[in-house]
Formats: sequence, C-alpha cells, structure tokens
Amino acid sequence: MVDRSHIVKSYEQELGQLRSMVSQMGGIVENQVALALSAIADQNEEAASSATQQDPEVDALERDVEALAIRLLALRSPMASDLREIVATLKITGDLERIGDYASSIARRSLRIRSTSEQITLTGLRSMGRLVQDNLRRSIDAITQQDSSRAMEVWHSDRAVDEYYTALFRELVTYMMEDPRNIRPCTELLFIAKNLERIGDHATNIAERVFYAVTGENLPAVRPRGGIASTENLTDSTDR
Amino acid sequence: MTDTQQQAAPQNALTVRNLNFFYGQHHALHDVNIDFPARKVTAMIGPSGCGKSTLLRVFNRMYDLYPGQRAEGDVTFDGRNILENGIDLNIMRARIGMVFQKPTPFPMSIYDNIAFGVRLHERLTRAQMDERVQDVLTRVALWGEVRDRLHAPASGLSGGQQQRLCIARSIATRPEVLLLDEPTSALDPISTARIEELLDELKEEFTIVIVTHNMQQAARCADQVAFFYMGRLVEVDTADRIFTNPRQQQTQDYITGRFG
Amino acid sequence: MSDITSKPDGWAPNPRAARRRRFDMLATLFGMAASGILVLVLASILWTLLSNGLAGLSVAALVKPMGAPGSGGGLANAIIGSLIQTCIGLLIATPLGLGCGIYLAEYGSKLNRFASCVRFISDVLMSVPSILVGLFVYQVLVAPFGHFSGLAGSVALAILAVPIIVRTTEDMLRLVPVAMREAGAALGAPRWRVTVFLCLRAAKTGVTTGILLALARVSGETAPLLFTSLGNQNWSLSLDKPMASLPVTIYQYAGASYDDWVQLAWAGALLVTLGVLAINIAVRISARRG
Repeated sequence: MVDRSHIVKSYEQELGQLRSMVSQMGGIVENQVALALSAIADQNEEAASSATQQDPEVDALERDVEALAIRLLALRSPMASDLREIVATLKITGDLERIGDYASSIARRSLRIRSTSEQITLTGLRSMGRLVQDNLRRSIDAITQQDSSRAMEVWHSDRAVDEYYTALFRELVTYMMEDPRNIRPCTELLFIAKNLERIGDHATNIAERVFYAVTGENLPAVRPRGGIASTENLTDSTDR
Repeated sequence: MTDTQQQAAPQNALTVRNLNFFYGQHHALHDVNIDFPARKVTAMIGPSGCGKSTLLRVFNRMYDLYPGQRAEGDVTFDGRNILENGIDLNIMRARIGMVFQKPTPFPMSIYDNIAFGVRLHERLTRAQMDERVQDVLTRVALWGEVRDRLHAPASGLSGGQQQRLCIARSIATRPEVLLLDEPTSALDPISTARIEELLDELKEEFTIVIVTHNMQQAARCADQVAFFYMGRLVEVDTADRIFTNPRQQQTQDYITGRFG
Repeated sequence: MSDITSKPDGWAPNPRAARRRRFDMLATLFGMAASGILVLVLASILWTLLSNGLAGLSVAALVKPMGAPGSGGGLANAIIGSLIQTCIGLLIATPLGLGCGIYLAEYGSKLNRFASCVRFISDVLMSVPSILVGLFVYQVLVAPFGHFSGLAGSVALAILAVPIIVRTTEDMLRLVPVAMREAGAALGAPRWRVTVFLCLRAAKTGVTTGILLALARVSGETAPLLFTSLGNQNWSLSLDKPMASLPVTIYQYAGASYDDWVQLAWAGALLVTLGVLAINIAVRISARRG
C-alpha cells in the first residue's frame, strides 16, 4: 500500500501532508510528556514550563489537521483505506491533544510536590512514567509506519499501566494515612498518576485507531485491563 | 432466530455459476460465480472493459442479438438456466427488464412508450391500460409532470424524464429483475439523485442489478457490490465492506483511485 | 526564459498570415462564382420554360386530349397517363424497396454474402442508364405480348425507383440507434415488431423522403417509357394498351414542325418541372417536420 500512489497527485500530496502534520503533532506531544516526566524526576522547573508552553502549538496543529481532514472528506470522497486513515487521523489528533493537556497538567503539578517528605519515594511513579512514555512512543511509531503489530503491542501493554496505577494508588493512600502532612503532596502525586494513566489510555486509543486504519478491523471492545473498578470510578470523577 | 433462518436460505433472484463469455475468440468473462439476492441492489463496478456490462447483458441474453457472442455456464433464474436453448427469450426478457445508458424513448407518445411493452405480453382493456400507465408513471415520479401530455411524443421530455420513462416502461411489464446499465451517466446530478431515490423505492419489489462507473453511486445505492477486473470477479461483498475495508488489494486500489 | 515569454510582441503580424488571407479570399471568390454560374443556368432554364410554356398552358391544354396538329388538342391524356404510370410504378417499387432495404439494414450484416450481393446489385441498378431498363422491359413485357402497354411503362419506372428506395431505407434504418433495437428487444419484443414498430417508425421521415425522391426521379423519365408504354394519341386508361405520358409527349411534340405541338411540348415541360419542384418542396417539408 505504501508504494502505491494515487492517480491524482494532489490527492496523494494532501494525504502526505496530513500524515506529516500528525507525526509532527505526535513528536511535540511525545516531547511534552518527556519534559513533564523529567520535571517530576529532577524537579526541573525549566522543563515543566517548556512542557506547558507547547500546548498552544498542539492545539493549532489539531485545528489544522481537522481542517485538512474535513477538506479531504469533502473534496476527495475517500474510500476504503484512505477513508479509514482520514477518519482515524481525525480521532488520533483528538487523543494527541488530550495527551498534551495531561502532560502540561503533570508539568504544572510537578512544581507543587517539591516539598515532598523524604519517606515518599517516586520510584513507582517513575517506572509508570517510563512505561507510559514507551507506549506513547510505540503508538506514534505505529501511526507513522502504519504498523498494526506495533499498535497491537501497545494495546496489550496498557494492562501493565493500569496495574502500576492501582499499586501507586494504594501506596499513596497508605502514605496519607500514615501522616496527614503527606496528604497535600500525595494528592498531587495521585493526580499525576491519574494523568499518566489517562495518557496511557489515549495512547491505547491511538493504537486501536491505527489498527483499524491499517487492517479495517476493530480490536475487541473490551481491552485488557488491570486495576480495580472502584478506584477507577473514584478517580475518574475527580479528574474530569 | 429469523435472522439466522434467512441467512441459512438466502433468496437469490439470480445465481451465476461458472459463467464464461466469448466475443468470438475473445474470452471476456472467466468463471464468474456470483449470487444476486432478491429485492436487493447489487452494483457492479470496475474499469472499462472489465466485463461488468457483458455480465449484465448475459442476464437478459441481449448478446443473442449479435452473432459470434456466446455464454457458457449456469445462470439460474426462477429454477431454470436461462442460457439454455429452450428458454423463451421474449418471456424471459419481460421478467428481466433492462434500462440502458442513454435514454431510449421510442418514437411514439409517452403513453404508447409504456403500452408498447405491456401489449406484447398482456391483453388489457383500455381502462386497465390507463391504470397501468398511471401506476408506473406514478412510481417513477413522472405522473405529475406528464399527466397532461400523455399523448405527446416522448422525445419532448428532458433527459432525466426520458430515463425515468424508460424505467417506467421496463417495470410496466412487471419484471422480477431490473438490469440497469449506467442509467445515470448521461444525466445531471439532480436527475441522477431522482433516479437513485427511485432505485431505493423499487428495490422493495424488484431485484436490481446496476452497472456504474460512479463509485459514489454504487456506495449510495447498493446493498451488495461486485468488483470486476479483466473479465474476472475479484470481490463481491456488502457495499459497506467494499467501501470501508475491501479484502482484495485490487479492489482497494481501484476504489481509492490508485489504479495504474 | 523560453522563446514564448521572450517574444517581443505576441500581437506582431505573422508574415504568412497575409498570404493565407489572400488565398482564402481567392477560394471564396471561386466558390461564389461557381455558385453564381449554377444559379444563372438554373434560372435561365426556368425562364425559358416559363416564357415558352406559360403561353401554351391553358385550360384547354389541361382538359383536352391530344389531337392532330391544328385541331386544338391538349395534354390531358398525357398528364393522366403519366400520373397513372408513376403511381403504379411507385406502388410496385415501394413494398419491394422497403422490404429489400429493411432486409439489408436489419439482417444483412457486412458479413452476409447474399446481402452484400443484393446491396451491390441495387447500387449498380441505380446507375444503369434508364434506356437500358426500357429495353429490358421491352424484351420481357412488350415483345412477348406483341404490344406496348401502360403496365410495362409502370414496371420500367418501378425498376428505376426501387434502388433509390432500397438505398434510402437502408441508410435511414442504419441511423436508428442500436440502443433503440436493444431497448425493444429488452422488453421482450420479437424482432419483426422491433423492426416495424420501432425502427421503421423512427426512420419514417427518412424513408418517406426516399420514396418522394424516387418519385421525383422517375416522374421525368422518358427513355424507359419509349419502348414500353410508347405513347398514345387517344384517351386510354387501359394498362393493357399503349399509354400516353408527359415526357414522351414532350419528346414527340418538341421535335415536330407544327407550332401548336411545340407550344404544347413547352407547356408539358413546364408541368413536369413544376411537378418535380412540388415533390422536392414536399421532401423538404417532410424532412424538416421529422
């Protein structure tokens, strides 16, 4: 499919433009997440602020992609793989935009946990961050390479993210019960963990959409999940 | 339950098995196997010369008009192979109607255009004929436009009206199958939309097979879509499946506009 | 960059254009001159006819039969004879010509040897000198019976008319789109019905025009009648006897040395011309209506 091009060259060019805009957006968002994670790990203020500063750029790209996708739908009447790709792209940009939002939210919160007491370790959060980052990178690679097997990998490893989140949730609740002074920083950390979990979800969404665009098939509606339903509900309502 | 029962015994109006077609020495259709579900619209698409029109013309044995053209295989319609020698072509053609690419009004009045086909097969009184004419003209949404000039020459109608008249003429003999060979390729978009709307209504009653070059049209009208290439049936599936996720690379390339 | 953009003036006169214009003007002039000459010739024929013929054209000429020189005879029997022979000729020629034309158009494909043969013979017949047709009919219908007859004249005219009708019928039917035939067949109409009720109907105007053209062609023929209906000085409506006709009368009277006969010949010539003119106008009208 990659080596076959359209008879109408301008159509092919526009599709190419759409792809490059999405991968550009993916690159920025990936970078935002990396900056946010380093802001937590190293208490890097500069990283935190540059993560949040990239939001407007992502939003602008999202609008541009949307406009181009709508233009393609209206003027080219795409069919089959092209149709799937364009529709998937529309949704993927939404996911990427959300991921960008979560990344800047993490970056902002990272500045508020500087005064964390010694006893709270960030090891679990760091590992979760690495895994989420990894998943995001793989799903963005899946977009640019139109690779359904990579998308499948992401889809499967979302379970691990959920498990990390559940463990982290318990750990942070324990800290809070031990010492009421931990409540403030731990709440921030909880939100950060929740944001990471959401980023993981959106990365999985992207993977699902890439899988659909490439194969025309949908992954099963129920994705493999770790975690506990009750905690899901609890944190979901606070986050939204 | 009923769903699975229907699927277990699908009602096919036409069943094609191992069909081969020859224009003299030229082998135009190769081993075609395809079913046409009753009261559904099946669109046949493919590049020019792929054999889709040829197949359509097998279904009413239009090729019989031309020496040197022959079909081999089975096309089962109402329990009989219509390719057999013993088939009464005129009766068969009354049961399997056809509408052509260009509107072909007969050189007579609007009324007589419709009565012409009916008179071939039925003896109707004047009143019955009037009723039949009104009925079919109403069904093709032409009655209101022509009721005052039924006895004016059909050549005075616009292209879109003429094509609707031709469809009315075909359904006036009460066929079971309606074959359409690019029926809107000579019409403007509004007339095309009217015909497409008409097809949607007609499929309640008729099995419709339409050959079209317009993929959007196939997507809009058809329940089932068959893609032909170089005299072979490449893929047949629901319109939904063909246009969102075809199984064959050739189909995919054709419908996305990547054909070399 | 290229020659086109660096061209100083896109509107500069093309040196060859002047020559072309001159040639174009010459060609136009030549065409106009040729047409003018043709119109002049035709006008002078008509003028001669009118100036000579009108004098002889009187009620008497139209209602009285031919008579001896100086007896005040007319052309009535010749006019009637001509009408009868042309009508019967056409009555014979039309079904034959139509049938043959239909056969050639509908069944006689280029591959059909018999049809090709028929088509060739019909075309040859169209260009055969009409006197040969007269001679042939003389051999077949006059000599064996021992006398000239109006019927033989009609047959001779029919033979001349048939190929014209065949040719126009075939051509007009071939102009009927294939789609029309297919549409008819697709409704379950047998072939003959498609041919008669659809194709022939669609070609109606053209076919009628062909028949009228054949009529115009044969109504002025003299040669085939000379050896067949011969001509008759007296009233005779019997097809079995020699029959008078305008062209033959013109032929006989024009060369005579009696002034009143010559006068009548001119009147007859004017009548024939007017008749042909009328038919041609009818053809035009019918073609336009179709």
